[in-house]
Amino acid sequence: MTDKLSRRDFLKVVGAGAATAAVLTGCGPASRYVTREPYTKMPEYNYNGQSTYFATTCRECAAGCGLIVRTMQGRAIKTEGNPYHPVNLGKTCARGQATLQGLYNPDRLRNPVRNSRGESYQTGEKDWTEINWDTAIEVVAQALKDPAGVQFLLGPAPDHLFDLVREICKTIGAPAPIRFGALGMFEARVTLGEAARAMFGRPDTLFFDLANADLVISFGANFLETWISPVAYTRGYSKMRKQRTRGILVQLEARLSQTAAKADLWHPIKPGSEGLVAAALGKLYAEQKFGIAPAAFEAVDVAAAAEAAGLQLEALENLTALLLDADRPLVIPGGAALAHEHGLEIAKAILALNALLGNLGKPGGVFHTPVSPLGEEYRRPASLREMAELVERMKAGKIKTLFVHGVNPVFELPQALGFQAALEKVPTLISFATFPDETAMLADYILPDHHGLESWGYQRVTDGTGQAMLSGAQPVVAPFYNTKSTVDVLLAAAGLPFKDEVEYLQNQVAPLVEQTGGFYSAADLPSFWALFQQFGGWWKNDVSLSAPNAAGATEKKLNLKAVEASEQHEEFHLLVYPSPILAEAGANKPWLQEIPDPMTTVMWNSWIEINPHTAEELGLHNDDVVRVVSPFGAVEVSVYKYPAIRPDVVAIPFGQGHTAYGRYAEARGINPADLFGPNFNEAGDLAFADLKVRIEKTGKKRELSRLESKLGVYGEGMEEH
Amino acid sequence: MASLPKIPEYKAEWAEGEAGRWGIAIDMDLCTGCQACVAACSMENNVPFVGEHDAGYGRQMAWIRVERLWEGEYPEVKATPFQPVMCQQCGAAPCEAVCPVFATVHSQAEQINLQVYNRCVGTRYCANNCPYVARVFNWADYSNYPEPLANQFNPDVTVRRRGVMEKCTFCIQRIHKATDQAKAEGREVRDGEVQPACAQACPADAIVFGRLDDPESKVSKLSKDKRAIKLLEDLGTQPRVTYLKGGYHGNLG
Repeated sequence: MTDKLSRRDFLKVVGAGAATAAVLTGCGPASRYVTREPYTKMPEYNYNGQSTYFATTCRECAAGCGLIVRTMQGRAIKTEGNPYHPVNLGKTCARGQATLQGLYNPDRLRNPVRNSRGESYQTGEKDWTEINWDTAIEVVAQALKDPAGVQFLLGPAPDHLFDLVREICKTIGAPAPIRFGALGMFEARVTLGEAARAMFGRPDTLFFDLANADLVISFGANFLETWISPVAYTRGYSKMRKQRTRGILVQLEARLSQTAAKADLWHPIKPGSEGLVAAALGKLYAEQKFGIAPAAFEAVDVAAAAEAAGLQLEALENLTALLLDADRPLVIPGGAALAHEHGLEIAKAILALNALLGNLGKPGGVFHTPVSPLGEEYRRPASLREMAELVERMKAGKIKTLFVHGVNPVFELPQALGFQAALEKVPTLISFATFPDETAMLADYILPDHHGLESWGYQRVTDGTGQAMLSGAQPVVAPFYNTKSTVDVLLAAAGLPFKDEVEYLQNQVAPLVEQTGGFYSAADLPSFWALFQQFGGWWKNDVSLSAPNAAGATEKKLNLKAVEASEQHEEFHLLVYPSPILAEAGANKPWLQEIPDPMTTVMWNSWIEINPHTAEELGLHNDDVVRVVSPFGAVEVSVYKYPAIRPDVVAIPFGQGHTAYGRYAEARGINPADLFGPNFNEAGDLAFADLKVRIEKTGKKRELSRLESKLGVYGEGMEEH
Repeated sequence: MASLPKIPEYKAEWAEGEAGRWGIAIDMDLCTGCQACVAACSMENNVPFVGEHDAGYGRQMAWIRVERLWEGEYPEVKATPFQPVMCQQCGAAPCEAVCPVFATVHSQAEQINLQVYNRCVGTRYCANNCPYVARVFNWADYSNYPEPLANQFNPDVTVRRRGVMEKCTFCIQRIHKATDQAKAEGREVRDGEVQPACAQACPADAIVFGRLDDPESKVSKLSKDKRAIKLLEDLGTQPRVTYLKGGYHGNLG
């Protein structure tokens, strides 16, 4: 365009545009190769003092919220929600807001490097040699020539990379790529999917229509924090409360989480008793409503269930009365509730209870999420058992080259799984990390990908909205460093017939041009592509949720096990929950570190939550350092006397405890995943909620920085003042 | 004898009317304590982070905080509803009366409480006198970020130096942008046209911002709701932030 226009003419055009405050987004088919330059080389079309907004997709978790990023003079300066995007409708969470601190993180990887792994790991010194991208692509191409020895390990986002890798693996005959993310582990997504398959015949992720329910009983689902699609579920919660008859939220979990803090009723039930409680509620409900309990629930002993949960029988009866009273009741299974040895049965019990309540496929009930408009089948992340199998294959020397992208297995996987030790047997580890995370530090080659805000891509949105959609990502700034898109690297190395990532993406989204009922339509691919960038994706106007098949859902017998009584003072149930602010990968963003935890107001560190009475019996005070010992590991962490947790349960947030990952994350707090053992439930998810730990005094004290005053909280510190 | 000009006994006598111009209504039934407002505010207003040590000394710089208190003892324990607290933009602001250098003044145009950074000499009298603990002080040059973190700074907002008091401005840069735009188009600002960063981000739609002097605006309706309360209203500060207590439509379960 600038070739044909003189500068003077061009300024006239710009002036005319500025009068109507035009914003240059999605400038038509030609925009695909427009480059966005930093301030030092500002392109002349970038009008001084005017912001330019770009639509893209948030990569801080896999929920796929739409972002509008405000840029000025080639720099991204604020992320805002995309108001059209069906998942978040213009809203964002704290992590979405802080994504810029990832883009501008001072510790980002800036060049592709080769690392002589063993030495650097042991001495803690980096022995990196910068290489150029031609060499890097050659390294990848060489590795792909031995397809049997190749394994890709990918994160939950982005999907276009996963699609490409799957395609490549199929073509060259390599094992299928594996996806993993710690949040999926804490949400026990595989278990929920398997339960849906067993009950309804389809293993999709389920959509829980919070917005229209008038009674929600949540078994520890932290849907206001990190669960599945937190921004969408927060909107659902908000709508539930705004109904003409305000919806009621009941939370059943051992610790008063941030979500439970919003509940009208919280019962601290014993970990592992969730299935029994669900079954008991089912039995009481059915007996009172229909006079007879279906097969799924008839075997349960209500009094024993109440006893196992640590509840009064009266509490169960009151909950049943609430259920009988409600028009649109809904029961939600949380992650920790399913992370037990018999977690699959618990999930089935909770889904059966929904079937009994008759809410399947009805407003305020349970639905199958719509199939992605690209017509892809349901693909779940790997379960922990599958990850353990991967580790076994690594140990057996079957994997010659391991590619890692978008996930940090050394940090996120339980140490007891032995991933780090198994890396010794993998000759080549190639990391595509943007940040120097723990896995990248052990890699032989780091070929850094662009940051999410510098990247093209798309993400299938499977949860959070009833509209079938594909969320689109585009670079909002030019890449700052000598990084290269992993898709481009793989396209070059595998010799696929695509010129670059954009051509590949256009090829992928091409089938959407034909589809009807979309938010917009276009006659040809270039126009469609322009709109796809402008609106940050493509989605159908109509909701296409489908009803799960309820037939026989309440007639299958459940095999619910009784809960072991935990011995007081000796062992405690350890409840590990993902930090609502940091989640699995937020620790390198200083503003997320400094945002107080919603419940404890602790900043910049880890803590263990202990009931004040238990702490008193153990002779522990706030900020005392204790040693938490499990059969698989031990960590030392400061005490936070948490007033709303069962006396036989302690809790530690997950998210801190990095040994790498940049200056803001490193050597800060502890990683509770070090305590986990390789125990799985029937669906293969980690049974982390079964874990028992001992607590030992160390005599040390380490003060936690917290926003709330320590004075007067349970009398602490008052004696000195 | 010529009459002397009337000298107010204290500056708060210059209080504006009851109504005010811009206001916020926060529904505590909807607020989930997710801290998205805190992050959004910090990103929009170039609020620096201070690090673990200084944060432990109560020097955290956030202009908005989400309060939560405990009630009762286990098992009858509960957390009070999350309550985001920012500068209440008092109509009769206690902070204004004590500033010796007129660094904190009331703006006639926006009818909000301003902080003039280059007048501020850091006496911290205003913070001392603020009943809402809404003011934060730059104890050090916290904004000296390692490169290239400083690229995220919003060019519409100043970066404050050591020794300066700061606080929530209701995102005055956004108010100005919208009023300028409206003026250029010869109209009034539409309700919902301006949103401060906190309201814009809020996933639960708990924060509503708008014109209090427009009886039809969402925020004026909410601030007259029967659930409406004002924080420490008894002090006569005329806060412009309204909190909605209890359940939506007044029915609690």
